[in-house]
Amino acid sequence: MSFNRLTAGQLDTLKEISNIGMGHAATALSQLIGESIFLRVPQLKITPIGDVPDLLGGPEQVVVGITLQMLGDARGSILLIFPRESAHRLLSRLLGEKEKTLILNELGASTLKEVGNILASAYLSALGSLLRMNLIPSIPLLAFDMAGAVVDHVLIQLSQTGDEALMVETVFYGQANPKEAIRGHFFLLPDPASLELLLNAVGEQ
Amino acid sequence: MRQLERVGISEVRIARAPVVLIAYGLGSCLGIALYDPQVRIGGLAHTLLPAPRAALPEMRPTKFVDSAIRLMIDRLLAEGAAAERLIAKLVGGANMFEPLYHQAEEGIGARNIRTARETLRSLHLPLAAEDVGGNYGRTAEFDLQSGELRVRSVRRDDKITIL
Repeated sequence: MSFNRLTAGQLDTLKEISNIGMGHAATALSQLIGESIFLRVPQLKITPIGDVPDLLGGPEQVVVGITLQMLGDARGSILLIFPRESAHRLLSRLLGEKEKTLILNELGASTLKEVGNILASAYLSALGSLLRMNLIPSIPLLAFDMAGAVVDHVLIQLSQTGDEALMVETVFYGQANPKEAIRGHFFLLPDPASLELLLNAVGEQ
Repeated sequence: MRQLERVGISEVRIARAPVVLIAYGLGSCLGIALYDPQVRIGGLAHTLLPAPRAALPEMRPTKFVDSAIRLMIDRLLAEGAAAERLIAKLVGGANMFEPLYHQAEEGIGARNIRTARETLRSLHLPLAAEDVGGNYGRTAEFDLQSGELRVRSVRRDDKITIL
């Protein structure tokens, strides 16, 4: 299914189901770090693949990226991006470490992957029960590098079938004062072939 | 005054000195630089995949390693470069996400590198230098005045490698 043929109603539906999934993920994260997590209104973008790194703050922005595959009845990629400072704050909160900058050792990387796993699992299980689909996350993979380099393998997968990406993005943030806020971007990039499945599942409810 | 021209994902750009062509944040993507040192014309491609799947109709040729190299050569020759003077350099093709278990299948980065080497060999185009593979991202700056390809990696303390 071509992304351009989606109607405004279908786009709203995608935003709404993603918002519900994200609500569950935010609850999970908030229990994990013991602080309220707020969600921005989800943004849905259909963009040329080449523009995706710019939407993440620029291709050379240093980020922690955690990616998982959505498997089961529908397929796609989930991408969780934390700016370097937010990943650092999240780790300090979870591990009680006092390092001044982000040093991603095995424990830190493993902790962030687990955060990704918890968020993706909560998101997919909410989506799955809403749509009566079986959706499961793959094991998470992590990279800490320039945003362009972190996302290009997700883009490579998408580019095998087209030149555009459909991204549902939700920004979430903690309530702490802005200087210490934890911010993250959660992206769902459905495979074009699975998009129709997702929309049909909504229509049948 | 440096004249920077950005080469985005699945783009090919041709320019002359003193332009500096730049491809930001190459992960598994492969940057391919072609250069004619005598007339100082060069091209840079930011490719995603080795070659289109046979079943699908041809999409943007600039997305694929093999077709991007051929397209760049055609455009460079049309701009006054000579085929026998062209040299090539490769950057990128990393494997950003280390899998938890060993995978027999080679990653997309490695396939991009292999395809580029094969295409260059079949076109008798010398591969002058490369900085490829590994598990970190790279930004490539291709200076058409000197022919230098400067490669920067944040994961390696912003170390710059000059090819």
